[in-house]
Amino acid sequence: MNLLNNFSKKKTDDSLQLSRRKFLIGAANSALIMAFAPLTMSMTTSATEAIKQNAFSPSIWFEINTLGEITVHVARCEMGQHVGTALAQIVAEELGANWDDIRVVHASSDPKWGFVMTGGSWSVFQMYKPLSQAGAAGRLTLIDAGAKILGVSPDSCEVRDSKVTSGNKSVTFAEIISKGKFDRTFTPEEMATLPIKSPDKRHTIGFDRLALDVPPKTNGKAVYGIDVELEGMVYARPIIPPTRYGSKVLRVNDSKAKTIKGYLGYEILQDQSNWIEGWVSVIADSYHSAIKAADAIKVSYQPGDTTNISEQDIIDEGHKLVNSKNAGVLFVNDGDTDKAFDSAANTLSATYVTHTAMHFQMEPLNALAELKDGIWHIHCGNQSHSLTLPAVAKALGVTDDEVIIHQYYLGGGFGRRAYGDYAIPAALTAKQYGKPVKLIFTRPDDAKFDQARSASVQKVSAAIDDNNELFGYEHNISAGWPTLSMAPGFMPKGIDDKGNFDPFSTSGSDHWYSIANNRVRTINNPLAQKTFTPGWLRSVGPGWISFGAESFIDEVAHELNKDPVEMRLAMLDGKGKNKGHHPQSVHGAKRLKSVLEQCKKSANWGKKLPKNEGIGFATSFGQEREMPTWIACAAHVAVNPSSGEITVKKIFMTLDCGTVVHPDSALAQIEGSILWGVSLALYEGTEVDKGNYAATNFHNYTPLRMNDMPEMEINFVESTEFPVGLGEPGVIAVAPAIANAIFNATGIRLRELPIKPEHIRQQSKNA
Amino acid sequence: MIEFNLNGKMVETDVPDDTPLLWVIRDEFGLKGTKFGCGIAMCGACTVHLEGAAIRSCSMPIAMAKGKQVNTIEGFDGKHPLQEAWIEEQVPQCGYCQSGQIMQAATLLEKNSSPSDEDISAHMSANICRCMAYPRIKKAIKSAATKSKSAVNIYDPATSEES
Ligand code: FES
Ligand code: FES
Repeated sequence: MNLLNNFSKKKTDDSLQLSRRKFLIGAANSALIMAFAPLTMSMTTSATEAIKQNAFSPSIWFEINTLGEITVHVARCEMGQHVGTALAQIVAEELGANWDDIRVVHASSDPKWGFVMTGGSWSVFQMYKPLSQAGAAGRLTLIDAGAKILGVSPDSCEVRDSKVTSGNKSVTFAEIISKGKFDRTFTPEEMATLPIKSPDKRHTIGFDRLALDVPPKTNGKAVYGIDVELEGMVYARPIIPPTRYGSKVLRVNDSKAKTIKGYLGYEILQDQSNWIEGWVSVIADSYHSAIKAADAIKVSYQPGDTTNISEQDIIDEGHKLVNSKNAGVLFVNDGDTDKAFDSAANTLSATYVTHTAMHFQMEPLNALAELKDGIWHIHCGNQSHSLTLPAVAKALGVTDDEVIIHQYYLGGGFGRRAYGDYAIPAALTAKQYGKPVKLIFTRPDDAKFDQARSASVQKVSAAIDDNNELFGYEHNISAGWPTLSMAPGFMPKGIDDKGNFDPFSTSGSDHWYSIANNRVRTINNPLAQKTFTPGWLRSVGPGWISFGAESFIDEVAHELNKDPVEMRLAMLDGKGKNKGHHPQSVHGAKRLKSVLEQCKKSANWGKKLPKNEGIGFATSFGQEREMPTWIACAAHVAVNPSSGEITVKKIFMTLDCGTVVHPDSALAQIEGSILWGVSLALYEGTEVDKGNYAATNFHNYTPLRMNDMPEMEINFVESTEFPVGLGEPGVIAVAPAIANAIFNATGIRLRELPIKPEHIRQQSKNA
Repeated sequence: MIEFNLNGKMVETDVPDDTPLLWVIRDEFGLKGTKFGCGIAMCGACTVHLEGAAIRSCSMPIAMAKGKQVNTIEGFDGKHPLQEAWIEEQVPQCGYCQSGQIMQAATLLEKNSSPSDEDISAHMSANICRCMAYPRIKKAIKSAATKSKSAVNIYDPATSEES
C-alpha cells in the first residue's frame, strides 16, 4: 500500500504526476519561464503561448529574469522544515545555478490547482525526480542558447555558477535571457531520458546552504497568518460550544458585553457543511475587546450527546475492540496466524495505551476572510490548500472556484494546519457580518478546537515455537481516525474487503521483521470519533503504534532470554517481502539492520551502567513502508525508583534516509523530532474530560523546555539512494526506546504513554 | 492617553488601560515581530524589554508602560550579535517563537557575558520553542557570547540613536 499514491490518485493535477507531463520552456515579460504543462494542454499550443496565458501547472515552476535572478515558485508551505530551500537546491543542482541567484516564492492557492499538501514527510520524496529532470531540461535549453551566442557547439559547453562555459569563453544566464529566444516543449518521454548528474558531480545537493527562510525569522519580518491585516477589517473571537459536534445555541445574552469599549456585536454562525455547530463569533474593533466581550457573553446551549465522555470511556471502548475477534479490518495477513497460535509452545501478549496528545503549535489558530468582487479571500498559514479550500467553500455554500487561499509562514503545523477548518468560523463571520474579519483563537480556544492525537489501545501477541523462536505475531490497534473525519475519500480498503481504514492510524504496524505468521487488524474507536475530531499529529500512526510494537519486541526477547538487539538483528534478514524494491526501499530490511548495528556501537550496548540506569533500543522505518526512513534509536535513562523521576541522559540515533539534500536542515529536523519524541513520551499528553480536552494552555500542557533537554548523538548514513522523508520519523522510535531503557534500568515495564513518575512509583511499590 | 517610548521614539495610545502591551505593539503600532502564544505569561513568544528587562507583553497592561522605555525585536534592526548568531547556527524552524527567544537571550548576555550551559538553560526555560530548536538556541547564544563580550551596550536602540 502506498499512502502517498492513495492521496494523489484522487486528483490529476498533482506533483507526483509531474513525471507524466510535458515541460514548457518559454519567455514571458522578458523572463525565461520553465513549468510543467497541465495534462489538459492541447497538442498545438506552443510553450510560449501556454506560458503567456499562465496555462501551466502551478505546483512548482521557475523563472530566470534578465538580471539572472532565479525564482523558484513552490506550492509547499514553510512550517519550519525549510522545504523551499531543499526543493530549490534540487533545481539549482541540475540547472547549474549559483546558489546566490536563487529566490523562493511560496505560492497562494488558485482554484485551478490540484492536490497540494505539505505533510507526511513527502515533499522531497515526491519532487526529487521531476524537479531534477526539470532542472536538466532548463540546463539543456540554456546550453543551446549560450552556445549560439558564443559561436561554439553545445557539446563543448558546461554549466556552472549560472554561466555557460566553453573553453575560456563564457556567457551568463542573465545575458542568455536578454538575447535568446525560447519556445520549447519537452515530452514526458524526453524528460525521462534527460541526463541527471551523478552524485559525485553534485555541487548543491548534499551541501549546506543557509536556509532562505531563516533571516526574516530572526528580525521579526517573517509574516505569519496572524500578522496579516486588511483595510476595514474587524476582529473576532469564537465562543466554542460545550461539545465538538451537535451543540445548538439556544440564547445569547450580551448585555454585559455592551459595556465593553469596541464591542461590535455577535453572530451565531450558520455553517452549511455542519462542520461547526453551535458556534458564536464575537466581533470588536480590537482583539483585546473581542476577548473581553466573549468572556462577558452568556450563551445557553442544547449540547450534543458527548458531554459526559471521559478518557477512560474511550480507553475502555478501545480495550473491548482490540479483544473482539471480528472488529475492524485486516491490514497485514502473512502465513496462518491462527494456526501458529493454536500450535504454539508458548504465547504471550501485552496491551499498550497511549493518551490523548495535542498540537499546541506555537501560533494559535487564526484566519482572515474577505469577500471581494465575488471571490472569498482567505489569509492564513495552512498545510493543505487542497483539503482546506473545499471545506471553506462548502461551509460558505459557494463553489471551490469562488475561494482563494493566501499562504503565509506557519507558526507550526505538525498536522494541525492540514485540514484548515479554523478558516471556517472566520469566513462565516465575515459573510454574516459583512466585513473582512480577522478571527483569532485564544490559546484556550485553540486547545478546545484542537484535533488531538486520539487515545489508543493496542494489543500485541506472540506465538513461540518449540525452538524458542517467535513465529506468530498479532497486533490489534484501535483509535480515533483523523482521515475518517477529514478526508474519508482517502481511506483504502482492508485486505479482507471488510471496509476501509485510516492508513495514518495503522501504518507502522507493517514492520520489516521477518515473522512467518503475522496479522494486523486496525479498528476505529467510534467513541473517540464522535467526541472530538481525531487529528494527524507529527509522526501520526507510527508515532504511537511503534510504542506498542517496539516495546513488545523487547518483552518477547526478555521472555525468551534473548538480547533484544540481537533478536531484532536476526529478524531483519531482508528476505521475502522485506527485500524492498527499487528505488525508495532498495535493500529493504538490511538497511534497518545496518543502522541498528551502527547505533548499537554508538550507544556502547552491553557496557556496565550505574545502578538504576539503563539503555533501551527501538527501530523505526518512518512514516510508511513505501517510503522507509531507516532509524535505530537508543535511549540512556536514569530512574529514581522511589520518586519515580526519569532522566533521559542521552538519545543516540542512526538514520539512513537515502540522499540528504540539505544536511543541516535534515539535522535540525531530527534534533527537533527526537525532542518531540522525548516530550510526547514524558511531558505531554492530556485526557478527555466531560467531552473536552482537559488541557487548555501551556500551564497544563507542558511540552519539554530547554532544561529538560537530553544530550543527543545523531548519525546519518552516507548514501546516494533515493531521498525519503525526514520531517517526522525521528519522533517514532524515541518513546519505545525510553520504555525499554526504563525496563533495563529497573525491571519495571510501562505500557502507557505518557510515562509518568507515579507509574514507576506504583510498580516499585507493587514489586 | 498613554505615552511611552517604543524603540527609541515617543508614542501615544488611547486604548483602554487594561489592554495588554502586546496588542498595542502589534495592532496599534504595526510591529508584528512580537508574537502571541498563550496570553498567560507561560510561553515567552511575546517577550519584549521594558526598561531593559525581559517581560511578557501579553500580561502587561499598557498602563504599566506609561512613560517607560519599551524595546521590541524590530528595535534591534537586525544588528544584534544574537541575530547574526541565529542565522549562522540556522536556529529558526517555524520561527514563531524566535523574536521572543532573542529578546529573552539578550537580557542574559547583558548580565552574563559568558554564560554556562546551565545559565543558558535556566534563563531560557521561560521560553517554549514548540519546534524544539533548543540545541541551536543554546549554541547560538554561546557563539554570540564568545564573539562579542560587549554585545549588550551597543544594542540598546535608545542609547545608540542618541549617541
Ligand atoms: S504570549 Fe505572552 S508568554 Fe505566551
Ligand atoms: S521555531 Fe517554531 S516554535 Fe520555535
